[in-house]
Amino acid sequence: MKVTLRFFARFGELLGKDRVVDAPENTSLADLVRDAASQNGEGYGSIFDEQGKFRDYVILMRNGKRVSAAAAERTALSEGDEVAVFPPVAGG
Amino acid sequence: MGVQMLSQNERERYSRQILLFGEEGQERLKNATIFIAGAGGLGSPVSIYLAVAGVGRIILVDKDAVERTNLNRQILHYDRDIGRKKTASAEEKLRAINPDITVEVLDTTIDETNVHELVGNADGIVDAMDNFPTRYLLNRVALKMGIPLFHGAIRGLYGQATTVLPGKTACLRCVFPHPPPKEVFPVVGVTPGFIGMVQATEVVKYLVGTGELLANRLLLWDGERAVVEEIALERDPSCEVCGGKNQHGDAP
Repeated sequence: MKVTLRFFARFGELLGKDRVVDAPENTSLADLVRDAASQNGEGYGSIFDEQGKFRDYVILMRNGKRVSAAAAERTALSEGDEVAVFPPVAGG
Repeated sequence: MGVQMLSQNERERYSRQILLFGEEGQERLKNATIFIAGAGGLGSPVSIYLAVAGVGRIILVDKDAVERTNLNRQILHYDRDIGRKKTASAEEKLRAINPDITVEVLDTTIDETNVHELVGNADGIVDAMDNFPTRYLLNRVALKMGIPLFHGAIRGLYGQATTVLPGKTACLRCVFPHPPPKEVFPVVGVTPGFIGMVQATEVVKYLVGTGELLANRLLLWDGERAVVEEIALERDPSCEVCGGKNQHGDAP
């Protein structure tokens, strides 16, 4: 199945912004992001902690709806889904 | 203080926007108080544009002095202001820009003990801070007072903005339950300029009562690609601050 994965802001700089991924059926949202992020150590480290869990400030969206880090592990994606991953910014 | 009508000078000063909002809309701006937390990268453009738009009373809070490293983005402050309190610098500029409005500056750090007193009876809070702990504090006060919080934040060429309407939208804690790590953030002045304009536009629309606000919508600005995106927000029923519950109206 084909799904779109989009990394925003700093994540996009490190990992590339948008891509279409041909993922096996029933791939979880978390595994999709994990696979894509593992191409770049710094990019991976900015999204996942040492235990491989999402860092707590990372915001995950599936088709425009927020998905919690816990739900991302068990959320199976479907053909045509769009997944967005972004870091809030804090500066003023 | 009762509702104040526009003077002849004001009718002239604001004539081009009275074409947009009518005299009634302009009077709403004149009779409004906006609290701006921070006189830095976001607070500078926000306060300048709210001042020229004729927001009648602007309260601006900052504890810092102007540093040379601020000058690439904090357009309220000039080279000659280095070392001066940001509040003094801001007050001088805003008064010169528009002597018809009231500018109050508060040279203090916003914290739990003073935030209610500082915000007073403001009609809205502009989040022009550079850290999440203070943002969460402003969020709580906005919820408690039932006034909007106009959120903005930036880093590099990226920015985000949303308008929190207590009882109607996700609160700041629903959207950002955990702050990103602290850092000395990279920034070029155009980014807080852009996001500050989004915030100031929201304030003006809210006060005049026109248009559609960034309610339950997070605007994301990618300056590198020149793309504005938006994502839908919703209340988090388990939010530790608003509990997904309405403070001043119906349950969701």
